[in-house]
Formats: sequence, structure tokens, C-alpha cells
Amino acid sequence: MDINMTEEVQNLLKDEGFKKEEIQEIIEKAESNGKKLKHKSEDTFIAKDDSENLTTYAVYTISGEGINLNNVYSHKMHIDGLTGGELHEVENDDQSEWICQKCNETALERNVDMSYMGVTRAGPAIVCPKCQEFYVSDGVAKTLKTAESILEEKRA
Amino acid sequence: MDIINKVESLCPECLRKIEGVKYVEDGKVFIKKECDDHGSFTALISNDVDHYRKMEECFDVDRKRVKAPLTDVDKGCPFDCGICPSHKQDTCLAVVEVTDRCDLDCTYCFANSSMDKSLDPDMETIRKMFETVKKCQNDPTCIQISGGEPTLRDDLPEIIKMGREMGIDHIELNTNGRRIAKDQEYFDKIASAGIDSIYLGFDGVSDDVYMQRTGKKLFDVKSEVINRCEKADIGVVLVPLVAKNYNLHETGKIIKFASNKVPTVRGVHFQPVFYSGRSPSMLEGKITIVELLEAIEDQTNGQLKVENFTPSLMPTAHCGTTCLTLVNNGEFIPLTNTSLGAAKSAFDVASKTKNSIMGRWKGSEKEKEDDDSSCCGEIIAKGSCCEKQIDVTSLDTSCSNSEGGWADFIEMSKDNYLTISMMAFQDVWSYERERVENCCIHVVTENGKFIPFCNYNLTNCKGEYLYRNTG
Ligand code: SF4
Ligand code: SF4
Ligand SMILES: [Zn+2]
Ligand SMILES: [Zn+2]
Repeated sequence: MDINMTEEVQNLLKDEGFKKEEIQEIIEKAESNGKKLKHKSEDTFIAKDDSENLTTYAVYTISGEGINLNNVYSHKMHIDGLTGGELHEVENDDQSEWICQKCNETALERNVDMSYMGVTRAGPAIVCPKCQEFYVSDGVAKTLKTAESILEEKRA
Repeated sequence: MDIINKVESLCPECLRKIEGVKYVEDGKVFIKKECDDHGSFTALISNDVDHYRKMEECFDVDRKRVKAPLTDVDKGCPFDCGICPSHKQDTCLAVVEVTDRCDLDCTYCFANSSMDKSLDPDMETIRKMFETVKKCQNDPTCIQISGGEPTLRDDLPEIIKMGREMGIDHIELNTNGRRIAKDQEYFDKIASAGIDSIYLGFDGVSDDVYMQRTGKKLFDVKSEVINRCEKADIGVVLVPLVAKNYNLHETGKIIKFASNKVPTVRGVHFQPVFYSGRSPSMLEGKITIVELLEAIEDQTNGQLKVENFTPSLMPTAHCGTTCLTLVNNGEFIPLTNTSLGAAKSAFDVASKTKNSIMGRWKGSEKEKEDDDSSCCGEIIAKGSCCEKQIDVTSLDTSCSNSEGGWADFIEMSKDNYLTISMMAFQDVWSYERERVENCCIHVVTENGKFIPFCNYNLTNCKGEYLYRNTG
């Protein structure tokens, strides 16, 4: 399987310090075990990799020519679990644009508790109601990154 | 008895240079030294050798010397101040005393407090003092206008203006605040002359404390100064002098008070009392850094812990400690910890973060302010405007659950920093040459010298000065 990407995405990878092989591995794993989100109406997927100190997400599409990598992002925060502990019904429409491929369930938008350097706060995530796998959007990851850097200033 | 190292110190009787040892006993650190004529002297340096060593481990500084020394090496340290060529550290703050006069008659004070106006340095002399600063200190030049009580001078606005015109980069004013609190016109003049911050004597949050030291109720005065500074957009650092049997029990309340006044109040700078000049009776009140830190930990219910204080940058591991904390709805989120090593300058960190955050939200700032700006989803949605893969705008439906979330955390971080620091000035008992020759707080004398603060205020046990008033 080969990964295609625009120059822009190549630069993003470089700037964020990701290796192409790492990303390829994340995608291949998701493709083989089905642990990924699929967009409701497009052939776009999100795969993720939880390593100890970093969660990395790859957003990609699949076409005849192979895999097109659209975006890569990450956060260092650890997701502790759903804010409030359990997945309760909510009144408003909380369905996301995404489907958990493994469970074939529409994923929900819920707040999760995330911790970094001893501080815990909530933030929105995309959660599969069945397997309770958590995914964070690119926008949220940007916010988390800012918060991470604030907390990291102590070592600056 | 476990010896740490040899120290060079001074005899508390004759101020001659004598040698001694720093050693550990019962987990505490002491200095013991001996004068041929006056016998031996022992002083407590730290109540906790583990903490003492920890400070050394995480102390980290890139030393830089002054731009130009002002004296020669002749009799050897500490008799060549200064700054002489063997001094190892640049000035971080130059103290310019513009008067000896003071309108308070404090029990603890290291200044002289005569009331003779004619002894005040004139404008020409002060100009020379500023020139000394420009000559000796590397840029940016930072001075503290001090005294006595500088606001007793009616020409203080002109002094500040002159400093500005001469290109001093940062000017702070050390004051008891009484004149500022009652004379708005005077304060306006100081503010427009270009003061950057106020270093406000602030020993407690109850009048009992002020009554004990000055015989006056001053708490309302202090609060009024902070109000006025808030309106004038001038930062305030609260400066409590701390001693046992005085205000040690109020340190937690002082920090709490400060946290409610952030961002006008930027910091609390504790000064453990030290023996000098007019405070002969204070020896029993003396506290070490670790005792003060333990009191803070205790009185903030563990929100600020001893380990959140790292060695202050610049001088030595034992001159002072600093904690940078965020304040969020009354909760402290300390950003410094000895396990992470020393923080670089706390204020830098704050402004750096601020800039990066301001930069980050630039453009979306205005719209965000308009509607419900406490709405987390809103801010997060704005942050994602450049990417189309996931439509997060719908996330603001979940706002109500997420109040106090990470987005709020970031919003709060823009302004809500508080720096809590302390400096353990030395007296003739605790005196170590290694500390003064690395000192970064320098008093500018009228005859164009820089004297490390601890040397400037050093006296023998009879109250005779090594440098102050000696020309
Ligand atoms: S304290 Fe500094 S300036 Fe003074 S004599 Fe020692 S090395 Fe020189
Ligand atoms: S004034 Fe004294 S305590 Fe402060 S840095 Fe200088 S030597 Fe150290
Ligand atoms: Zn699932
Ligand atoms: Zn002697």
C-alpha cells in the first residue's frame, strides 16, 4: 500500500515531526482491524494510535490509486474517560458525522476528561456508543496543543 | 556532623574576613565560623538538608557578567564593591535609593530613616546614578526606585521621567503606598511619567499586622493602591516582610488575596526578615526559606507545595525560590516544580505564553468576545476553522457539559498568572561570599558604584555598616 499526499501534507508531517512510515503503519493497522471512523457520506477515515505519551490521528481517503493522506495531528493529553463517567442519553442531537467502522454505529459527540501534567479538564470528543473508543477532532487537538504548551512552559 | 563545604564569611563583631564550614546536623544546615579575636559563631541556614540539596540540584543558570566593572580588585571580596572585575553575575535589578526619609516608623527596617530632606540626592546626583546603571548593566536596564519612602519626594515624577528619557527600560517603584492612596494627582503624575510596576510593601491582610509593625491601620491604604493601579493599568507586586511572631500565619491569606487581584497583582515577593540596621530585636523572628515554604504549603492547604518552588534565576541556589502558578476560579495550578528543574524567568514565561496565545486566537478574537465567550465549543470550533475534515461547529451543543474545559483553561491562562517568590537576604551570621559574588541585586551609590544588596545592608552585631553610609 502506498501513501500519497500533497506537498502541504508532507510539510505538515515534517513540521510536526512524524515519519511517513509511522503514519503508514497506523493506517495499515486500522485497515486490517477495522478500528477507525468512517465519514457518513464520504470515503474519509480517521485512524488513531495510542502510544504512551502521544495519541496520533491520521485522516485519509481511499481511492483506486491507493491511500491519500489528508491530515495528521496528535495530542499528548491522556483521555481518562467520559466526563461524568457514563454514556447517558442527551436531549439534543449528539450524533457526529462519523461511524465507528468496527461496530457500525454512529459515533456521538461527548465530553471526555483529559489530563496532562496533573491537570484534568473536559473537552469534546467523538465516542462510539458501543466500543467507547474515543477520537479527537483536528480542531480540538489544536486547542489541546495550546493547553499542553501552557502547561509545558514550566520547562521552557 | 557532616561537612558540606568550606565557606568564606565575615566576623559578626569586626567584619573581618574569616573562614568557616557549612555542615549538617540533625538534618539541618548550619554555618560555623571562627574569628581569632572574637570566637566562634554558628548560624542556621536551612531546616531541611534534603530541600537544601534539592535546590542545588535543580539550579541552572547561564551566567553573564556586568557590561563594565566599576572598581578594581584590590582588597579582595567583599571589600572591592563594586562591581569589581571578579564579580560573577550581571545586574538583574539596580536599586536606586532617592531618599533616606520615611513616613513610617517601622519595627523592622533596614533603611536608615532620618528625616533630613537636605540629605536627599539632588537631580544631578540621581542622573549620575542612572548613568552608572546604563554603564554597568547589560540591556535591558531595570531599576527599582527605592528609599526610604520615595514618594516623600515631590519631584519623583521628574526623576522617573528622567530615567525614561535616559533610556532605562524598566522602572519599578518600591513604596509603602500611603501617598499613592491619598494623593491621586501625584499618582497620576507618576503613572504618566512612566512607571512600569509598583513594589508594594504588604505585610498582611489584617490591620493587626500593620498595627504591630507601624502602629497604623494600613490595610485599606494597600487595597486602595491596588485599585488605583488597576485603573492605571500598572502591575503590582506585593512585598511582605515575613517574621515569626509577626505575620508568618498570614502568608496563605496574602497569596489568596493576591490571587483575587490578578492580573493587576502579578506577584507576591516574600522577604524573610534579616538582621540589619534598625532591627536588632528580630533575630528570634528570623525564618529560613524552607520554613516559609512549609508555611505556604500548609496555609494554602497543599495547593502550593514546597516542591512547586524552584530556585530563582540568576544569583545562587540559596538566594531565593520562585513559583509560577495559574489561578483558575480560586484554584492554583502551579507550573513550576523542582522535579522539572528550574523555571526560566517567570515573567518571561507568562508573556511568552500570552503572546503565543494572543497570536493563536488572532482574528477570531473579536467575534468570540461578542457572543457567549465562555462557551467552550465555540472557541474550539473557531480553532478548527482551517480544517474541513470534521465539522466541529456542531460541538457547541455540548457546551453546557464542558464548562471549565480545556478551552476555558486557555482563556484563563491569558491573564491569570501569579508569581510567588522570596529572597533570603543574608546577614552577617549567614553571610557567604559565594552568594554575594553571584548577587544580581545591586544598589547604586551616589558616587557611582554598584554594591550587591546583601553587602550594602550588611552590618556587624553593633549595627555598623560595611558599605551603607560609608561613602
Ligand atoms: S561582592 Fe562582587 S563586586 Fe563586591 S567585592 Fe565581591 S566580587 Fe567584587
Ligand atoms: S541580595 Fe543577597 S540574597 Fe539577593 S541575590 Fe544578592 S546575595 Fe543573594
Ligand atoms: Zn465502536
Ligand atoms: Zn572578629
